[in-house]
Amino acid sequence: MEKDQVFMGEAVQAGWNSCSFGMEMETDELNCVGSCFLNPKWHNSMDQSDPFESALSSMVCSPAASNAGSTNFPASGDNTMMTDLIGKLGNICNTGDISPQSLIKPPNNNNNCSSNTSCYTSPLDSPPKLNLSMMGGNQILKHPSLVPVSVDPGFAERAARFSCFNGLNAQLGVTEAEFVQLTRVSTNQSVMVTGSQVHVPDSNKNTLQDGNSCSDKRNSRLSRCSSPENGDSKDESSISEQIPGVGSSIKAQNDANARKRKSMPRGKAKETPSPAAADAKIAEENDESTAKRSKQQNDSAKAENKENPKPPEPPKDYIHVRARRGQATDSHSLAERVRREKISERMKFLQDLVPDCNKVTGKALMLDEIINYVQSLQRQVEFLSMKLATVNPRMNANTEALLSKDMFRSRGSLPHSHYPMDSSALAFGLRYQPQQGLPMNNGISNDTQIQFSMNPANAALHKTQGLQLPPVDGISDANPQIGSFWGDDLQSIVQMGFGQNQPQSCQSKHS
Amino acid sequence: MMNTPQQVKNPSSSLKSRFITRFLGALTKINAEDPISSPSPTRIFQRYRRIKVASNKSMAYSVRSRRIWSRAMLSRFRSRRSAFSGRRSSVKTTNCTTINVTINENKTAKGGLDMQTDELRELVPGGEAMDVCNLLDETAHYIKCLTTQVQVMRKIVDFCHLSK
Repeated sequence: MEKDQVFMGEAVQAGWNSCSFGMEMETDELNCVGSCFLNPKWHNSMDQSDPFESALSSMVCSPAASNAGSTNFPASGDNTMMTDLIGKLGNICNTGDISPQSLIKPPNNNNNCSSNTSCYTSPLDSPPKLNLSMMGGNQILKHPSLVPVSVDPGFAERAARFSCFNGLNAQLGVTEAEFVQLTRVSTNQSVMVTGSQVHVPDSNKNTLQDGNSCSDKRNSRLSRCSSPENGDSKDESSISEQIPGVGSSIKAQNDANARKRKSMPRGKAKETPSPAAADAKIAEENDESTAKRSKQQNDSAKAENKENPKPPEPPKDYIHVRARRGQATDSHSLAERVRREKISERMKFLQDLVPDCNKVTGKALMLDEIINYVQSLQRQVEFLSMKLATVNPRMNANTEALLSKDMFRSRGSLPHSHYPMDSSALAFGLRYQPQQGLPMNNGISNDTQIQFSMNPANAALHKTQGLQLPPVDGISDANPQIGSFWGDDLQSIVQMGFGQNQPQSCQSKHS
Repeated sequence: MMNTPQQVKNPSSSLKSRFITRFLGALTKINAEDPISSPSPTRIFQRYRRIKVASNKSMAYSVRSRRIWSRAMLSRFRSRRSAFSGRRSSVKTTNCTTINVTINENKTAKGGLDMQTDELRELVPGGEAMDVCNLLDETAHYIKCLTTQVQVMRKIVDFCHLSK
């Protein structure tokens, strides 16, 4: 027994290592391993270590798996296998009545999966089935060499599942010893269960998680991790993100009923403080928590190192949020909290947009400010359009083209320093007859000779001046933005206009 | 959000430049069609309305369909146009109102902010059919576009003033 246990530990270790590097862990192999873990009787039944070893080695040497002639585990079906395995592992949380077929993904052409699944469904009372699974595992691979492989996201899921198993442990009556062993193994650094290798599992895993969803309340956190949303949305990334989230569940273990992940890195950052504490609590605390923490430690380490190679995750349909410690963690309150945070974030952004609202606090006042500002802007547009309706009888196509061209050109090329004019000067110029001219340097080369029929003493202008100047001044004074705004675009236009207006004065003032 | 003088902007791609182009074109067209020889209040008022519509339309077209409010505004314009020929505008409004009712019912949990959000919905085009989160997003973008509009129009007005 001891020998078996030790062996199992080593094998698991090797297996985990292999998985950590290869990402080609076959689900069936994991199935076998998992089933081994789950069924204490398996030790007795599996007097030969060979099948287990083979199963583990199959996990280890994932590339060789296909070469080993494991017809049941094509290399291409890695993720699906993993998904299946995870599903099956998670299935243990379930009553066990779930038919294996429901868990197995159709693309999986692994017949052994079904047999392995059946093992999971009744882990305690079917050693023969386990044997069968082990036999299936035999087919997988015969490589005794334990090559460390990088963990694929399946490991993360497996970690989650194992924690699930831990919860189920009490239910099934599996002795703690088994899980302690498992956790001991998992806490071992060499285990390298870094599900952070977040290679996005394919959608199969999602569906498996549907089957996996631990219906028990105990495992609700895990099932939430795999979250019904994942199953619904087939969101691959969510799965990989579940695993670090599992670790946090340990913290909020008693509270956490639902777990959502906001982001993988963030989740991992949260997890990093835990590993130190986790290592100290291996034998004392809940084994699942330990296992999870150790996994998270590795996960976070790996995640931080290997986020770049992570393949681009598909667009997430759902946003995953982690439940904060001490806060309610049911899905409704979590969703509500996410929503509130989003709204407050947008309110802050709006606060930056709306001028002079830094002192305003509270959503209601802020919204009032925003409403007022939007209304004022809309009124300004109307007012300016009214002015345009009355003011520009002489705008012709030439004018428009030149105006727009100068707007573009000035924006891109002309430096600000060429335009010393500011709004006050402009207002001054407007107030006192344009023919006075403004002391400014005409930075724009007047290569464009605009033939304006300028007549400062225009009767029409006089008529409208009284009407228009006050508003213009009001606008200039009221809006401090104009000062900077004049700096680039309008100054060029104004100068153009002034240049044409008083060619003599402007030329005299040319620098 | 706005150009700083130091920023070198690609004129062909910025919202502002697109708006300027369109709006100036519209202005030219309006001036060509309706030369202001007789500043009668009626004519001026008509021009004002046309220019206002042109300004909003230019901005909506510059934003194209990337924003809910621009899409709503464009559909409003199109429905207004088609209203002369048919009664299609009523269909659009009913759709909005039904959605609005649903959203309002769901938002009762928000409490006292419903009034302000409703006001905001009225201000922002297409706001009736948005939840609060999107509404705030659209409001931010709408404010940005409105300020662009105001600045450009001010520029043009002052230019016209100066050119007189």
